[in-house]
Amino acid sequence: MTATDQSRAGAAQLGRVVRDPILLAFADEVGAAEAGPVAVEGGRTQWEVGAPDVPTAGPGDVRLVRAPSGVVAFEPAEMTVLVRVGTTVAELDAELRPSGQQVALEGFEPGATVGGVLSVGRSGITRLGHGPVRDTLLQARYVSAEGLLVTAGGPTVKNVTGFDLCRLLVGSLGTIGLLGDVLLRTRPRPQHSGWWCGEADPFALQDQLYRPTSLLWDGTRVWLRLDGYHADVADQAAVAERHGLAACEGPPVLPAGRCSVDPGALRRLDAARREAGGFVAEIGVGIVHGRWDGPRPTPPDHQVRALHRRIRRAFDPTGRLNPGRDPLAASQPITAGQEASR
Amino acid sequence: MRGDAGVVCFPLTTEEVQHCVRIAGRHGRAVVPRGAGTGLAGGAVPKDAPVVVVTTKMQQVEVDRDRRLVWVQPGVINLDLTKQLRPDGFHFAPDPSSQQSCSLGGNVANNSGGPHCLAYGVTSAHVVAIEVVLGDGELTMLGGLDPEPAGYDLRGVFVGSEGCVGIATRIAVRLTPNPPAVATLLADFVEPADAAAAVSAIIAAGVVPAAIEMMDQRITQVVEAFVGAGYPTDAGAILLVEVDGLPGGVAAETALVDEVCRAHRARSVRVAADDEERMLLWKGRKTAFGAVARVKPNYYLHDTVVPRTKLLDVLRQVYEIADRHGIIVMNVFHAGDGNLHPLLVFDAREPGVLDRVHDAGEEIVRASLDAGGVLSGEHGIGLEKQPFMGWQFTTVDLDAQARLRDAFDPDGRCNPAKVLPAGSRCGDLQHLDDSRRRQLLDDGAWV
Amino acid sequence: MKIPVVEDELAQCVSCGLCLPHCPTFRVTGEERYSPRGRIEAIRQVHRGDEPADASFIDMMDTCVQCRGCETACPSGVPFGRLMEAAREGLAEATRYQPWYRRLGYRALAVHPLVVAGSRLLALAQRSRLVPSARLGLPDRLPLRVAPLRVRAVAADAPEVWFHTGCVMDAWQRDVHDAALAVLGAMGVAARLPQPNRRGLDGGCCGALAGHAGLIDIARAQATATMATFPGSAPILVDSAGCGAQLKDLGHLLGTDEARAFSARVFDIQEWIAAHADRLPGPGPAAAGADRPVVAVQDPCHLRHVQRAHLPVRQVLRPYFTLVELDDEGLCCGAGGAYSVLQPELSRQIRDRKLGALRRAGGSVVASANPGCSMHLAAAGLEVRHPMELLADALGLAAEAGDGDGQRDRDRG
Repeated sequence: MTATDQSRAGAAQLGRVVRDPILLAFADEVGAAEAGPVAVEGGRTQWEVGAPDVPTAGPGDVRLVRAPSGVVAFEPAEMTVLVRVGTTVAELDAELRPSGQQVALEGFEPGATVGGVLSVGRSGITRLGHGPVRDTLLQARYVSAEGLLVTAGGPTVKNVTGFDLCRLLVGSLGTIGLLGDVLLRTRPRPQHSGWWCGEADPFALQDQLYRPTSLLWDGTRVWLRLDGYHADVADQAAVAERHGLAACEGPPVLPAGRCSVDPGALRRLDAARREAGGFVAEIGVGIVHGRWDGPRPTPPDHQVRALHRRIRRAFDPTGRLNPGRDPLAASQPITAGQEASR
Repeated sequence: MRGDAGVVCFPLTTEEVQHCVRIAGRHGRAVVPRGAGTGLAGGAVPKDAPVVVVTTKMQQVEVDRDRRLVWVQPGVINLDLTKQLRPDGFHFAPDPSSQQSCSLGGNVANNSGGPHCLAYGVTSAHVVAIEVVLGDGELTMLGGLDPEPAGYDLRGVFVGSEGCVGIATRIAVRLTPNPPAVATLLADFVEPADAAAAVSAIIAAGVVPAAIEMMDQRITQVVEAFVGAGYPTDAGAILLVEVDGLPGGVAAETALVDEVCRAHRARSVRVAADDEERMLLWKGRKTAFGAVARVKPNYYLHDTVVPRTKLLDVLRQVYEIADRHGIIVMNVFHAGDGNLHPLLVFDAREPGVLDRVHDAGEEIVRASLDAGGVLSGEHGIGLEKQPFMGWQFTTVDLDAQARLRDAFDPDGRCNPAKVLPAGSRCGDLQHLDDSRRRQLLDDGAWV
Repeated sequence: MKIPVVEDELAQCVSCGLCLPHCPTFRVTGEERYSPRGRIEAIRQVHRGDEPADASFIDMMDTCVQCRGCETACPSGVPFGRLMEAAREGLAEATRYQPWYRRLGYRALAVHPLVVAGSRLLALAQRSRLVPSARLGLPDRLPLRVAPLRVRAVAADAPEVWFHTGCVMDAWQRDVHDAALAVLGAMGVAARLPQPNRRGLDGGCCGALAGHAGLIDIARAQATATMATFPGSAPILVDSAGCGAQLKDLGHLLGTDEARAFSARVFDIQEWIAAHADRLPGPGPAAAGADRPVVAVQDPCHLRHVQRAHLPVRQVLRPYFTLVELDDEGLCCGAGGAYSVLQPELSRQIRDRKLGALRRAGGSVVASANPGCSMHLAAAGLEVRHPMELLADALGLAAEAGDGDGQRDRDRG
């Protein structure tokens, strides 16, 4: 049965059957098990994640497909946007800007697509204030390994109906299904936004501030981003200035390499490592860009590994979706650095 | 909703939970976790004499100030945790109306929300890591203290899984700093339609308040009798709006909310003068469900979410449906995110009333889904909303959910009777010949 | 078993569970069977005849402290106290739930000379170390003799107020009565004590303890006798929260217009004084300093949850003391009349939570307006005083109040 068959058959079904011809065409392009291995390509800005051995071009028998693109529906009064995942984050942002809204996907390289950012699941440097990428996804319609369209989540800003497949999809590197379109939560753009930097103790500063948007630290210097109403940003900036910070251009260029560490380890970093530098750490979050020889999180236990195997097999019994990619390997530092974009 | 438990256990430790699960497995019994028993969808109701694991005695709390998180055992009560964190200037953000009673384990199982999740997000946004006893009694850790643990977001899958993939025994939740400034507004409308329109207008103006709650006249009168919060009992509807954050934003947003409400014909907008008044306004809202027995001793409650712009339209239908079935309906809900809570109140001793209540409930669900909504915003599916799952999801959607559940719990030990309706798995579909398969789908049958 | 409940009241619980954290026995056990919601469900099942009134049911009922904290928490206004009393009444009628010696004991409370004599016997036994006082939750040293009460501004015929003296409290905590009367005297209030009728053998006990035990007939008889000792229309002041709650509820217990009129005259003494605060002498200079004594206010359940008259305690004390509040929203201390003796283990666990709350609150002395609570907390080593004693001290009436006629046992040695 193809996705188009599924859609026709769905006329008699009760649930919400996807009838968008562009998604149906994407599903038919992906095809069913007989169509063989398939990988999905976005902006290739994080192509290496979780796939140390995957060549940058489509390997031999793996067919490369592209997800459809375009903003389908933006409802400012709902604060949601329905977008096909081949759309770049920059295009989406441009679409939302005139309405004074944004999605909390920030700090990705030009060319990064919505689908790529969600499938990799790594958040930008504003995670401290805006929350992780995974919390922006409300509904996803994806193509399953059987070539069928599946709806995960729901079209409202709040939803606990059934098991949360959306959370499973974010960071799954396309091994559960191939995203077609997604409904994302939007947020008001702040009235005012700015960066402050200088030499300071980031932990003392964090304790004095109320929900800053970003707080970066290279062992000596601190970069602070404040968003909000003018008066509030001014008040918080005054606090930062008391700690020795001054207004500045923006965040530093992030060094290559990225790893996820216990944020408590940053606080306990010894003086030698602090002074040696070579990293930019996201305080209060635990992402470290660049060199990190401090403690790393304990690797997943055998139960978690077994769960991964079972889940992947359940969703993709023939192993045809993005073969060669392993979400469990995604925590390895990547070779190409993620450049911060302003 | 009644059930029958085989054995009821009150473990104190993770190891004891593992023992309970293993012993249940040896005897071929399912395991049903239960917290404070405040759930509204029957997720903890035991069916077929399972082993019920009650977590109320698991009360340990370890605050980790450096990491701004706290490890709790599942029996810790939501409001107790927030009170305990208060001296440090933090709280646990999800605040379901039952927060004075409900447990963290239950919050995780149902991905609980509450009025303030409009701005702060539901439980999933606040859970960092979960120690879980799986269906075979093995222990594992989902998520982690680092922000991007390797692999699938199994933590995210576990939150909201209603006890169907394991039992949480320790939970690390994030601490949310208490806002430096808070303003709570009470706006009083003659017409519920104006109140609903004001909600959309507030959001459209680019403000996401901490909470926007709406109460209609019937529930306002009932609740006022209990709390004496000074709610206007002659109002067609009231809005309870809270804005919080830094003082500048609070002042600006308070002014804006006031202006929008007045522009939508609010008779009055009152800002709570002090904490005491704020707490009283909230107490009324949070005890609303419990107060309905002042009208009738039973209630049937739905929890659908509709697009915020459809709120007014669906609300009209809710009243019309209830009137047509001769059932009293009261509406008290999270208007800011479109999460309706129509309370159908009745006296079950009245002959025939249950049928009418169920019919009205079904029509309300249908109307919400037709408006592009979803079945449950925060209460979960449990037993009670199972029959409606197929209204929102296709067989293929449900099959995907079933695969996820089965991957966690291949032997079907964990709360097996809940969430997914019987026959959600369409594995057999692969083995049917094409014409037969097509026919089944055309019939709309569960395969 | 038929339980004499009003069916609508039993149907009124919607099982929302908001009462759970306000129930002391649920708090310490975490078990539904020891919660109001669980107990109501059990009463329903027994009432419908689905389940027998067996030992398990009796345990569920007996372990309830009857603090009625669940009532203030209940948004639907379920009258849990009545349901519990009805269940116990049903048990007392249908089973040998209350053995003869307990029935006799409750009856004896109405015979005041017997109470005083019994108390004296107990005091003697205590001094000969025959009674494990701490384990039984008894006060450390019961008085050997009790001096007559001194009423300062007595009205010959038409008193401004009546002062209820009660049964056990009058034997064990006459100092509190003394202090209360001293305060009233300082306010210039003409108070009068009840006159025992029927040769001094009736009146005194309000019937609360018998009522809580399900012995409704005894409770009714005691209440009726007590009513007769307060003729006229003057307010009746009560310095025991438990007795006050019972006397305010006689309208329901007896169901007569006379009883309703009587109940309307009953006030907790702090409640009445707060309403007449202008007649209190102002705080002296000593009370204004920064070194004012710090008092932790413990709300007796029957003052807070039943009479809902706990705020006047603060109004009365605030001009003279620095008050600190507990963070447990008035959760019961576990005293519960005879509960501390009948359910010592649960009672102690409940008290441990209260001690934690008191520790967090700080304060050098605990104010408690109920004799049961104050004895229970004092047995844990705390300094507990009645608000009237604190007030009498602050007004410099202490020496006067304790002066007596030199007859009392002041435990000087």
